[in-house]
Amino acid sequence: MTHRLMLDEIVDAAGARVIVERGDDGRTRTARFDLAGLPRVDPLLVGRPVAGVPSLVERLCGICPAAHHLAGVRALEGLAGLAPLPATATAVRRLLHHGSAVETHATRMLVTDRDDAALLRLFGRAALAAAGSPGHFPVTAVPGGVASAVTTQARDGLAAGLDEALAAAGRIARAALALDGPVEAFDGADAALVDAAGRPDLLGELLRVVGADGTVIEAGGPATRWDQLVAEAVPGDPAPRPYLLALGPQRGRYRVGPVAQLRIGPLTTPVAAALQEQWLAGGGGARAARAVMAVHSVEAIGVLLGQGALVRGPAARPVAGFSRNPVGVGWVDGPRGLLVHRYAADGDGTVTAATILTPTAQNEPWLAELLAAAAGAGDQASSTSGMEDAIREADPCLPCSSAPAGGMGLQVETVPAPTRRSP
Amino acid sequence: MCVGVPALITSVSGDVLPMASIDLAGRQEECCLAYLPEATVGDHVLVQNGFAVQLLDPEAAAASLAAFIELGVLAPPVP
Repeated sequence: MTHRLMLDEIVDAAGARVIVERGDDGRTRTARFDLAGLPRVDPLLVGRPVAGVPSLVERLCGICPAAHHLAGVRALEGLAGLAPLPATATAVRRLLHHGSAVETHATRMLVTDRDDAALLRLFGRAALAAAGSPGHFPVTAVPGGVASAVTTQARDGLAAGLDEALAAAGRIARAALALDGPVEAFDGADAALVDAAGRPDLLGELLRVVGADGTVIEAGGPATRWDQLVAEAVPGDPAPRPYLLALGPQRGRYRVGPVAQLRIGPLTTPVAAALQEQWLAGGGGARAARAVMAVHSVEAIGVLLGQGALVRGPAARPVAGFSRNPVGVGWVDGPRGLLVHRYAADGDGTVTAATILTPTAQNEPWLAELLAAAAGAGDQASSTSGMEDAIREADPCLPCSSAPAGGMGLQVETVPAPTRRSP
Repeated sequence: MCVGVPALITSVSGDVLPMASIDLAGRQEECCLAYLPEATVGDHVLVQNGFAVQLLDPEAAAASLAAFIELGVLAPPVP
């Protein structure tokens, strides 16, 4: 038997389409990346039992289901008013999240660093399996905690591969840093999850936002303040142009992901922190940032393996229901950056509104700026090459992002810019 | 959000660079198995850029396809 496709664009997303607006003088006014290949499923979730939404959403995601899994369960816990979690639950979730980050980053690196990336990918998968999720779709987290602690056998098996994985990640990062060149400056803010000291924490509970000039726009806001932090300029659109409410829709652009994670504060693990300093002093590009964050996640797994809570202690708190609060927001800082699930539910636990804001949607304004700069420079061939570089830099969650040079299948559509009215 | 529809491998060819014919939501396409040489006919995989990058066990593939059908993104199976 077979399945008939109803949404052609989602499996025909191997290419990439850029729309460039040029004025009468031939100059680029704007450029944007077409996100039609990333449909919003939010409206399809309304009317469904909220308890089943995370598992439904994560089964659609082909690249980072662990991030959706954790963000979704956290959103349910927001509805239930559950906090804090048992130490074992936090540790196991962190293992899952860092394992997913390692696996995702390593998959991107297979083209350039095949052997080390393959080793790293296996380590990431071993971490996912140790955290209770051996298959593609995770089953580790449950509302209130995790299904179970890590077994000592799984912990010891993972620990045996730690040094080799860290060495491989380090080689990849040093090679990436050596190739890291200057990148286009972004005048928007950087946003990433942090710990109480303002240091990057991929499973943190606070969102820190820092402007391009170093101004702290938000020192550390919890998920319950999400509706006061960020709004969508075009709600529900695949490119919703989210912005920081504190700065407004015109000035509130921000970016997320490894570049933002490295710019937001010093990393907590020593090898990655030293590489982060090199990165900050050098080019500051996204490929090297991903490699440094992969080192950080391997080190973070090493820290978790030394924690007793990983293998013993209560795994979960009881959950009475999901109607204590009308809105629940769950977030994680995934391999591509901040992922936010926001569910509103009625007293019966039925979804009345849902928003899934992906890193790709949040980085679309940044990508648009990078594309406009590339489109405005040089001849057609060099601008196409520059646009490919821009897409790799902002890293939309589409296959084109990991295509080799010249293999992105980029389609550039040039349209006349709207005529500006005279004052 | 990014979505990944599981593809069913219908045939495999080539030794040095294994290739697979796949059924991707009813469309017949091809992909490279360089990163998943262990994949074989009857397996479900996720594909990026023409490369199979993730092998799904039958339960995971069925759960994923069921989620797409439940949300109306894919039509139910045609016997």
